[in-house]
Amino acid sequence: MRRKRGGMLLVFLAVLLSCLFFFWQKSTEIIKEDERIYETYSRHYVMITGRDESDFWDRVYESALAEGKERGVYVERFGENLAVEYDRNELLELAIQASVDGIIVPGDEDDKTVALLDEAVKNGIPVVTVLRDSTGSLRQCFVGDNSYNLGQEYGRQILELLSEKKEEMESPVKILVLMEESRMDTSQNLILFGIRETLERELGENHSTTVETALVDNTRSFSSEESIRDIFLNLEELPDVLVCLNAVHTRCAYQAAVDYNKVGTVQMLGYYDSETILDAVAKNIIYSTIALDAGQMGRLCVQALDEYTQTGYTNSYMAVDTKLITAKEAKRLVDRK
Amino acid sequence: MQPIKSVMKKRWKYLTLRQKLTALFVLTAVIIVSVNLYMFAITNEMAGQVEAVYISNVSLNELSGALDQVQRSMEEYLNTKSSDAMEDYYRSEQAYRSLMESLNTQVTDNGMLLTEKNIFGLSESYLRLAAEAIRAKRGRNVEKYGKFYEDANTLYEEIHTFIYSLNNEQFKDNSRNYQILMSSLRYMEMLSIGILLLVLLGNISLIAISTKTVTRPLRKLAEAADEIANGNFEIGQIPVQSMDEVGIVTGAFNQMVESIRNYIEQFRLTMERENQLKERELMMQSHLKDAQLKYLQAQIHPHFLFNTLNAGAQLAMMEDAGRTGRFLQNVAEFFRYNVRKNDQDATLEEEIRLVDNYVYILNVRFSGEILFSKEIDEALLDTRVPSMILQPLVENSFNYGIRNIGREGRIELSVYRKRRNICISIWDNGAGMERERIEQVLAGEAQEAGMQSDSNGVGMKNVIKRLRLYFHEQAKLEIFSEGRDRGTEVLITIPGGEEDAPCTE
Repeated sequence: MRRKRGGMLLVFLAVLLSCLFFFWQKSTEIIKEDERIYETYSRHYVMITGRDESDFWDRVYESALAEGKERGVYVERFGENLAVEYDRNELLELAIQASVDGIIVPGDEDDKTVALLDEAVKNGIPVVTVLRDSTGSLRQCFVGDNSYNLGQEYGRQILELLSEKKEEMESPVKILVLMEESRMDTSQNLILFGIRETLERELGENHSTTVETALVDNTRSFSSEESIRDIFLNLEELPDVLVCLNAVHTRCAYQAAVDYNKVGTVQMLGYYDSETILDAVAKNIIYSTIALDAGQMGRLCVQALDEYTQTGYTNSYMAVDTKLITAKEAKRLVDRK
Repeated sequence: MQPIKSVMKKRWKYLTLRQKLTALFVLTAVIIVSVNLYMFAITNEMAGQVEAVYISNVSLNELSGALDQVQRSMEEYLNTKSSDAMEDYYRSEQAYRSLMESLNTQVTDNGMLLTEKNIFGLSESYLRLAAEAIRAKRGRNVEKYGKFYEDANTLYEEIHTFIYSLNNEQFKDNSRNYQILMSSLRYMEMLSIGILLLVLLGNISLIAISTKTVTRPLRKLAEAADEIANGNFEIGQIPVQSMDEVGIVTGAFNQMVESIRNYIEQFRLTMERENQLKERELMMQSHLKDAQLKYLQAQIHPHFLFNTLNAGAQLAMMEDAGRTGRFLQNVAEFFRYNVRKNDQDATLEEEIRLVDNYVYILNVRFSGEILFSKEIDEALLDTRVPSMILQPLVENSFNYGIRNIGREGRIELSVYRKRRNICISIWDNGAGMERERIEQVLAGEAQEAGMQSDSNGVGMKNVIKRLRLYFHEQAKLEIFSEGRDRGTEVLITIPGGEEDAPCTE
């Protein structure tokens, strides 16, 4: 009886103590949750991207961030969480004022941009232009595709299309290349040049295809989509082949073709390999798409900045691989996902 | 641990009931209070955490306010160039800088901390521009200070945007934390209620168990009391487990039961003894009556006989027949003894006188054949003995001892003290007895067949029984004889001397 009583008392005390311990542990857990520990890094790079093609830029940024973390560098997506949406140049200026350790930014040939890039470099901040270059600036490096090669690839795709769907197309075949209105650099022209040259080389100088360009207004938010829909509304001018040079244009064109029931009537060549685009390619709504290795692009940007920071030198151009994705390849990728 | 435990057990054992109950109450109260305090402290800490949730917003607002102050004072100076404004500017700049010190300047992967770093960098640039503007104003460089002011103004607005955005982010984060903390607090509340219930439950069982140990001895005591009330005194000792009031009562109870039991035992013994005494008395009376009956059978109408004999004696005296008269007087006295001695005991003196009478009568009857001698310790004459014990023995000595021997018969009666005993010896030089015969007589087996018709009929067996009864088995009757024709001695030993010693030594 006495032993039993002592045992009961002990059990009671043990249960009580474990409850109190649990209580204490829970409370410290809750308190600790508030004091998350962050990694610290030795350098602070910023990546400034446009508002468009967020899907693409997300992938570039993620790989840059991962690459940076490996190198003890933190890459910030500058202006992301700000209450006011600053444009690229304003962000560039802010990054300079905030004295960051490196800037990754899509360039252009605008004087203001060039001046800002130069100011950054003069302030000791290395600059890498990405996807689009500012050739006239003092930027340390450009990471992007080879626009001429890209044009040639598009040209080859158009030729394939022509040989495949010759019966469905009226002569002369009209090819429309969508170009960004605000993009002042030469890359778009280089692409166009590549396309034209490839077609001429294959079909001869007096071929019956016309290659035209349409400027897509992307100066305001959502304006790209409006411009592309306009093309589909103008039935007289409807092209046989539509070439899109960025992800947003590709998505907009694809959606417009579906909405206006022009799938098959307008053949499309896309850019980039987002899930929607791959899906469209797999369903033969888009004939093929050319994807830039976004991951490689992000990695190269950080590598270039780091190389310059550490050695004072870096290549002024780093090429990013492109990849053609046809319906077959797209199906495989979609299935894999 | 073990010694502490045993010491505590001992301590507990010696506590009074009041102290035990108080200790129990204090223990449970201490458990409840300390558990409460402990949980209160933890919850309090968490509540403090909740309070501190929005502190980062508050400090950002302060920073924003200080920035406004710098901007205002700079504008004031650029407007008025007053030394007050200048002073204001330096003061506010200092204040802003000290607030800036709390900003993070490290590169981290936390967005908000990184924004702090950006704000820090931007603020540095802003303060530089503001200082430049003021310096240019001092140097009256209108174009320059205008430009610096413009740049500083733009940056000022942008810093505000940054602070505002950070504030927003932090507010979101803090709200989330607040939510988590609040729900955690609620969770902890439930948990603490659960723990308190557990403590309550534990305490109740603790009290239940402990009071049981306190009341169990009481219950046992009550049960024992019930048993005793029902007349069962054969209960064992109730174990005394503690030295409190109950322990003391239990001890007293045990003692009481023991005392009652002893008393009852003594009472029983006394009753038994009394009963024995009564029984002995009754037996004594019955034996005496038996003797008397036998006596009376032999001597019918003793009164008549005695009166007749007395008349005969007087007649003999008147006729001057002195010897006849004396004889008749002796015979009369012999019978009178029996008439007078209705009660069972007599003094030794009376008994001896009866023997004298008897021997006188015998000597007359048998013309002086018996030589009777006495050796008596006079001091013992008052000793009380059962009546009618000596005469039958003398009668036996005459009848079976010396009656039929050819030589001169002698009987000796001696009474003397031997230490604590009184010895009465009747000796004769007669026929003697075989050992077997002695044993038979002592065992009361001997058929007193040859009882003479002139015997008064009181046999040896009767004498022995009455002696034993009278002296509570302490009287002894022994018969000694060295064989045929070598005489017999009957020796009675009764208590009454100073020292206890057998007469036969």
